[in-house]
Amino acid sequence: MKHYLDLIKISAKQHRKQNRMTRLCIVLAVALVSTIFGMADMEMRSQMIQAVRSDGSWHAGFVMEEEQGELLKERPEVEHTARYGVLNYRLSDGYQIEGVETVICGFDKEFLEMFPAAEMTEGELPRTRDEAVLNESAKTRLKVQVGSTIELLIPQGEAKRYHITGIVKDTALEAEHDAFGMFLNMEEFSFLRSMEDGPNQEELFYVQFRPFCNIQKAIREISIQFGLKPEQVRQNAKVLMLMFQSRDPYLMQFYCVAAILAVLVMLAGIFMITASMNTNIARRTEFFGMMRCLGATRKQVVRFVRREAASWCRTAIPAGAAAGIVVVWMLCWMLRFLSPGLFEGLPVFGVSFPGIAAGIAVGFSTVLLAARSPAKKAAKVSPLTAVSGNAGTIQAVKRAAHTRIFKVDTALGIHHASGSKKNFFLVAGSFAFSIILFLSFSTAIDFMHQAITPLRPSAPDISIYREDTANQIPAELAGQIEGYPGVKRAFGRGYAEFTDAESGRKISVISYDEQQFRWAKKSLIEGDLEDAISGKGVLSVYREGSMRTAGSRTQIFIDGKSRELSVAGILGDVPYMYSSKNTGDAMETMICPEEIFRELTGETGYTVLDVQLQKDASDAQVQAIRKAMEQACGHSVSFSDKRIGNREARGASYSMSVFLYGFLAVIAMIAFFNIINCISMSVSARMREYGAMRAIGMTVRQVVRMVFGETMTYTAFGVFCGCAAGLPLNKMLFESLVTSRWGEAWNLPGWEILVIVAVMLCSVCLSVMGPAKRIKKMTVVDTITRE
Amino acid sequence: MEILKVEKLCKVYGTGEARVEALKHVSFSMQKGEFGAVVGVSGSGKSTLLNCIGGLDEADSGKVFLNGRNIFEMGENERTIFRRQNIGFIFQSFHLIPELTVEQNIIFPLLLDYRKPDQNRVEEILKVLGLANRRKHLPGQLSGGQQQRVAIGRALITRPALVLADEPTGNLDSQSSRDVMELLCKASRYYQQTVLMITHNMNLTVSADRVFCVADGELTELVSPSHAKDSGLSESQDGELAGFESQGGQDKEPAGIDGREKGGAAE
Repeated sequence: MKHYLDLIKISAKQHRKQNRMTRLCIVLAVALVSTIFGMADMEMRSQMIQAVRSDGSWHAGFVMEEEQGELLKERPEVEHTARYGVLNYRLSDGYQIEGVETVICGFDKEFLEMFPAAEMTEGELPRTRDEAVLNESAKTRLKVQVGSTIELLIPQGEAKRYHITGIVKDTALEAEHDAFGMFLNMEEFSFLRSMEDGPNQEELFYVQFRPFCNIQKAIREISIQFGLKPEQVRQNAKVLMLMFQSRDPYLMQFYCVAAILAVLVMLAGIFMITASMNTNIARRTEFFGMMRCLGATRKQVVRFVRREAASWCRTAIPAGAAAGIVVVWMLCWMLRFLSPGLFEGLPVFGVSFPGIAAGIAVGFSTVLLAARSPAKKAAKVSPLTAVSGNAGTIQAVKRAAHTRIFKVDTALGIHHASGSKKNFFLVAGSFAFSIILFLSFSTAIDFMHQAITPLRPSAPDISIYREDTANQIPAELAGQIEGYPGVKRAFGRGYAEFTDAESGRKISVISYDEQQFRWAKKSLIEGDLEDAISGKGVLSVYREGSMRTAGSRTQIFIDGKSRELSVAGILGDVPYMYSSKNTGDAMETMICPEEIFRELTGETGYTVLDVQLQKDASDAQVQAIRKAMEQACGHSVSFSDKRIGNREARGASYSMSVFLYGFLAVIAMIAFFNIINCISMSVSARMREYGAMRAIGMTVRQVVRMVFGETMTYTAFGVFCGCAAGLPLNKMLFESLVTSRWGEAWNLPGWEILVIVAVMLCSVCLSVMGPAKRIKKMTVVDTITRE
Repeated sequence: MEILKVEKLCKVYGTGEARVEALKHVSFSMQKGEFGAVVGVSGSGKSTLLNCIGGLDEADSGKVFLNGRNIFEMGENERTIFRRQNIGFIFQSFHLIPELTVEQNIIFPLLLDYRKPDQNRVEEILKVLGLANRRKHLPGQLSGGQQQRVAIGRALITRPALVLADEPTGNLDSQSSRDVMELLCKASRYYQQTVLMITHNMNLTVSADRVFCVADGELTELVSPSHAKDSGLSESQDGELAGFESQGGQDKEPAGIDGREKGGAAE
C-alpha cells in the first residue's frame, strides 16, 4: 500500500458483497439505457430496411426537365440522382403486351441502387432503344427468356418490338394488380413519353443527398432554384422520418414523444444508480468517520468516494453495455427467426453504437454525479461518530416510528423505508419511474395498433376475382386448388345485391363458408354465430343509425319477389365492403351462409376465390394455381398476388411488436431487478440491527414482516407517484400519437397499470424471499458482534 | 428456588489446529434473585457462556434449564419467544433500536408479543431509570449512560426470570457504571430477578452474591470477590483485570461526552 487511495482496493475486497450490489445496480441501469437505445436503433434500422424495400432509398424526387436534372446533379449536397419515368401507371392507357396492360418504366442504372425491390434477377439493363427488361411475372406468363423478342402495342396503334436483355423482380404493386412491367432505357422512354400528352406521364429525378446534409433546407433551395411547385416535389416520408430529416408536423410531434421517452429512460437509470450509491455510502458512515478520525481531510474523503465510484464503473459499465448488446442480439435473432426473409438485412451480431454510447454516458456521468452527494455526506461525518458504538444508524434517525398505528414490526419496516427522506424518494422514485416508463411506452403499443394494421387471419395470399362481381368462378375450383401443394386453404365468396323492402336501398349480400364465419367471430357484436353457420339466419354488418338487432327480421326483394330473412347476429365490421355503383357510398352489407346464398340467387359460383399459401410455397406452385384458374375461367377473371404486400405488412407489424413489447419487457424486468436489488441492499445495510432485534426476541417471521413492510412502503409510494405522474404523461403521449391522428379518445390504461403493478408486487414478494433466507440463516451472536 | 441450571455445557469453535474449546463441561445453577458475576480474561469463554445460556448460540452438548425448561429442546421460533418473555439482555454496545423513542425501546419486547404494556409498570421503570423526562427522546439524543439505562429498562420490562448482562459498563464512564450497577442490584434485590453479569472490572463484583471465573473454557466459582484476586487474576488500579486485550475500544464513547470521566475498558 503506497497511497491512501490504495485502500479502495483493499476495502473492495472486504466489502465485495455490498459492492457487488452497487455494481449490479450500475450494470442494470447501463443495460436498461443501452438496451432501449440499442433496440430503438435496431428498430430504426429494421424499419429502414422495410422502408427502402418498399419505397426505395431515395430522399426526394423532383418533376423537372432534363436540363434542370443536369444542373441538379451538380449541386454539392446531391450524392446520386436517378431519372425515372412511368407510363400507364393506372393500367388503363393501352400499352399492352399480348393483350395485357403493361406499365412502362424508364430509368437510369442508378435507379436500381435506390430501389432494391426492383432487383435484376438475370441479364442486364437495356442499352439501346430496342432493348427492354421485363418483370418476372411477365416472363413467366409470356414464357419468354433473356434474348427473346416481344411486341408492345402502344396507344397510338403502333406495335414496337424489343429484345429482352434482363428480368427484374416484381414489385408489390405489379404483383397485386397482376400487371406486366417493362423497363426501357431513358432515351426510348423519353421517345414514348414525347408521344403522350396526358398530364400523368411525368419524369422524375430521384435524389439521394450526402450524409449529414440538411435535407429540408436542400429541398427548399432546389425548389427555389428551379422554380418548382410543391406538387413537383416528392419526399420519401418514411426514409426521411427514420433519418430524423422530416419536418412533417405529425412527425415532429413523434420526435418529441421519442425525446420524452429517451429522457425518461435516462432518468430511470440515473435514479437507480443514485439510490444504490446513496445506500452504499450511508452504510459506511462509520468507516468514513474513522478515516476522518485518522486524519483524512474532507477533500481526501471526497476523492476516496469518487475514485471508488470510478472503480465500480470500470467493470460495471462494460458489463451493462455488454448485457444491453446481448439483449439487442436476442431481439434481432427473434426477428430474423420470425421472419427470415424480411429481416435478413438485420445483422446477427449487430452492435448499436448509439445505444452503447448512451449507456456509457448515463452510467459514467450518473455514477460520478451520484457520488458527489454521498461523498460530501461522507466528508461531513464527524470523527466522533466513528468511535461511538452506534455510528451510521443512530445518528441518521430524526423521528420515531409510529408503533401505535401499526404493529411494531410493520411500523419499524415503514420507518426503515421512510426514515431517510432522500433515500426514500430515491428508492420509491426509481420504482415510480418504472411505472412512468411502462405507461409512457405502452402508448407506443396503441400507436402501433393504429398505425400498422396487422394482417387479418383471413388475409389471402392470392385472390382470384371477377371485376364485374359475377358469381362465375366455379365453387369446385376452391376444392381443386386446396389440393395443390403449397396451398393451405382456399375459400370463396359469392356476391349479390338485393333491395331492402322497407327502405328501398340496395343491400350487398356476401356468402361465407364456415371458416370465414369463424374468422368473423371476433367482430361479432351480438347474436349467435352458430345460427348463421347452420343457416338459420344472416349476419348484418353494423352501420351507424341502423336499427337491425339480432333476432329481428328483414324483408328483401329478389327479382321482384319478397323474401324474409332472419338476422342471427350483428358484425362490427367485415374486411370486404362494396360501394354502390350509382352513389359510390358504402352499401349495407349482410353475410349469409353459402346455402342461403344459393337459395336466394340460384348461383353456385363465387365472385372471389381467396387462397392462403403455406409459408414455403414456391412461385411455381403459384403459377400452378394461376394455370388452374385459367383453365377453369379463361381470361374472364383477374389474378392478384398479394404475397409481397402481405410480407411487408407482416414485417412492419412484427418488427414493431417485437421491439415495443421488448421495451415493455425490459422495463418490467428492470423494475423487477431494481426492487430486488434495492431491498437486498437495504437489508444488508441493516443486518446488524436485525441481529440485535433477534437477540432481544424478534422472531424470523417478525423480521421478515418488517422487511416486507419496508418494501411495501416503497412500492405503495412508488405506485402512487408512478400512476400520478404516469397517467397524465400517458394521456399526453396518447393524444399526440393517436388522438391527433386517428381521433381515438384516451381511456384509462387499466391493463397496463394492472400488469406493471402485478410485476411490482411479484417482485416485492420475491425480493423479500432472499433476505428472509439470509435472516433465517443469520447467527445472532456473529451479527451483533461483527464490525 | 432454582431458576437457572446449566449442565455439562460444551462449545467448540473451529477444527484441527484452529480448534478452540470455548466451554468445557460447564455446570452450575442459580437461585431466584441471585446476582452472579462472571470474570475472566479476554477469550476465556465468558461471552460464549452467556450467549449459550441466553439461547443466542447453540451449544455442542449439555443442557440449560430456565424455569425448568431446557432451552435447547425448543425450536428456533419457540426459543426466540421464550427468550423475549423470560430473559432480559443487556449488551455492552446497548443495541437500542434507533428508530424508537426511549419509551418505545423499553416496551419493545412487549410490542413484539403484540401486548399492550402496563402503563404503571412503564412509568415505574422510567422513574427508576431516571429517564422519565427523556421518554420521547431517540437513542441518538442520549448519552452512553442513558442509552444503557434504556437497555436495562428494556431487559426488565417483561419481568424476566433471568437478566443476562454482557459487559454492561464496558462503554461507560465511572459514574454511569455505578448507576448501571445500582440498577442491576435493584433488579436482583428489589424485583427478585436473577442476574448474571460478565465483567472485567473486579470492583463491580463486590455487589455480586456469587462470582464465577472462566479460564480456558472451564468455570469455577470463587468464594468471594476477594478470592478472585487470590486466584491469579491481578487487578489494575481502577479495578480492571490485567492481561486482556481491549476489543471494544473503538466502540467506546469518547471521554467527556457527557462531562464525566471515562469508565472501565471494554471487551
